[in-house]
Amino acid sequence: MVALNYTSSVPSDRDALRTATLSRICGRHPSRPRFMPESTSEILLDARGLGRGFGAQRRTPARSAAPANPATAQRGGIRDLTLTLRRGDVLGLLGLNGAGKSTTVRLLAGVLTPQTGSVTIKGHSLEDNPLDARAEIGYLPDTPPLYPDMRVEAYLLLAARLRRLRGRTAREAVERIIGRCSLDTVSRSRIATLSKGFRQRVGLAQALVHDPEVLLLDEPGNGLDPQQTEELRHIVSDAGQKHCVVFSTHLLHEARSVCNRIAVLHEGALLTERPAAGSELDELFARLARGEPGQDSGHKPDTGGARPS
Amino acid sequence: MISTVIRHESAMLLRSAQIWLIAALIAALFGYLFLTQVQAWLNVQTALALEDKAPGLTGFLAARFLAPLAMLFSIIAPLFAMRAFSNEYRLASFPLWQSSPISSTALVIGKYTGILLVLLLLVLIPVGMVFAMGLFVPIDLGTLASATLGLILSTAAFTATGLYFSSLTRHAMIAVLASLALLLLLWLIGSAASSAQRVGGALPLDALRGFSIGERVAGFFQGFIATGDIVFFSVMTALFLALTVVRLDALRDGGTE
Repeated sequence: MVALNYTSSVPSDRDALRTATLSRICGRHPSRPRFMPESTSEILLDARGLGRGFGAQRRTPARSAAPANPATAQRGGIRDLTLTLRRGDVLGLLGLNGAGKSTTVRLLAGVLTPQTGSVTIKGHSLEDNPLDARAEIGYLPDTPPLYPDMRVEAYLLLAARLRRLRGRTAREAVERIIGRCSLDTVSRSRIATLSKGFRQRVGLAQALVHDPEVLLLDEPGNGLDPQQTEELRHIVSDAGQKHCVVFSTHLLHEARSVCNRIAVLHEGALLTERPAAGSELDELFARLARGEPGQDSGHKPDTGGARPS
Repeated sequence: MISTVIRHESAMLLRSAQIWLIAALIAALFGYLFLTQVQAWLNVQTALALEDKAPGLTGFLAARFLAPLAMLFSIIAPLFAMRAFSNEYRLASFPLWQSSPISSTALVIGKYTGILLVLLLLVLIPVGMVFAMGLFVPIDLGTLASATLGLILSTAAFTATGLYFSSLTRHAMIAVLASLALLLLLWLIGSAASSAQRVGGALPLDALRGFSIGERVAGFFQGFIATGDIVFFSVMTALFLALTVVRLDALRDGGTE
């Protein structure tokens, strides 16, 4: 549960449309999961000092000395990111496009190796014991990892077997997840014939099929209609009750509707991490959207993005 | 876990219409080549009767029918292997494997075995044709076994080469062309070396002969199984599989597809 006091200088050329969307103040959702006290529950995900993508800049003095466009130079990089998730946590990873949300989720999923820092999943280090650590992870990338030629059922069975479920257990897990993600009507269909919303749901189903302790969702709300968004919210809240979830999004109201904590990322650094209810998040995110985040209390300005993590 | 990968990879290949089309065309080509060589064998009967050490039917077919197929398989194997990783990158489905509890080594071995099993079915077609001649005339099983081993070992090495190039790019066609370029070079090294030897060239091309696929595979089709040749194809296979594992680990370190 660490919020880093770290802010970078910020470019001002932000997308006007996004500004309008993000600065909207969104209300608290009535059925949001309860915020669990830190000390009572088990740590499922522990990421310490994660860094990636800033090393190259340190080796290029010209770029660090004159950051003409820091947003481009640092796009997708992450520095000194520390997150701790306990059972029951649903963490919203909030940030503008290019803030490093996808990179963070990929680092947590073990798809990318951090250049600095470490990730521990339910006591297994991703570095020293990657297979046992990854067995506890369910990961939905920003593009669902699907095979268009496969049928939904066969695909989910493959996902279950890849996550160490065998024989009957795997088939039962697939049946269960098909029901849970409302895929009954399409379970015999080829994935290529499905609508975008259904594909997203199949993607979610493969991440959930083995009932993982750590669920990592990278912008899962993309392409869903309001009804599907509501179903997604239910599934995520449900998973959050028993396990822990990281949910990346660039929409504050989407994060609020499912998450009990929100971490705000900006240019690869964690600006703040706090309970989702706080009204200061609205103000902070509206400022981010306008491209002026540096004035938040306790944050110091950056010297140009060349700082070691 | 590996068995899941093998099953998936074989199923993906067998589910592809292009693969069945390629297989059908190749099977037709096998049939045609087989019939022409059997006809050629019949045509040279009188000439062979005068020779002391005339080859038998199996020896004749191994040299004239099966040996050229090794070159054909150096084209087919990369075609079968091209989608193994390129397709995953293109479909953005690779994170499914990267985030699952399976090591890069197991993934590479699983995918490789899955492709090779399907290819071995194709290898068995021409071998089966020669074997079927045994119903009518006596055949030399030793020579046939040696030629089959040659085809299997070379196909195994060609598949590993194709798999490696597939892991380098999201464009399957580029993977095929790169594999073909390398394999063609390895085929040509032998002929360049032997022609250099004939004219007494100054360049030490002869030293490259050891890397020539043509030279390495020839013995098998004459009924000679040399340890050096087995080691050559085994090392080539292991080398490209190891390079593929290194490549997949590099992707985790931020390499691009």
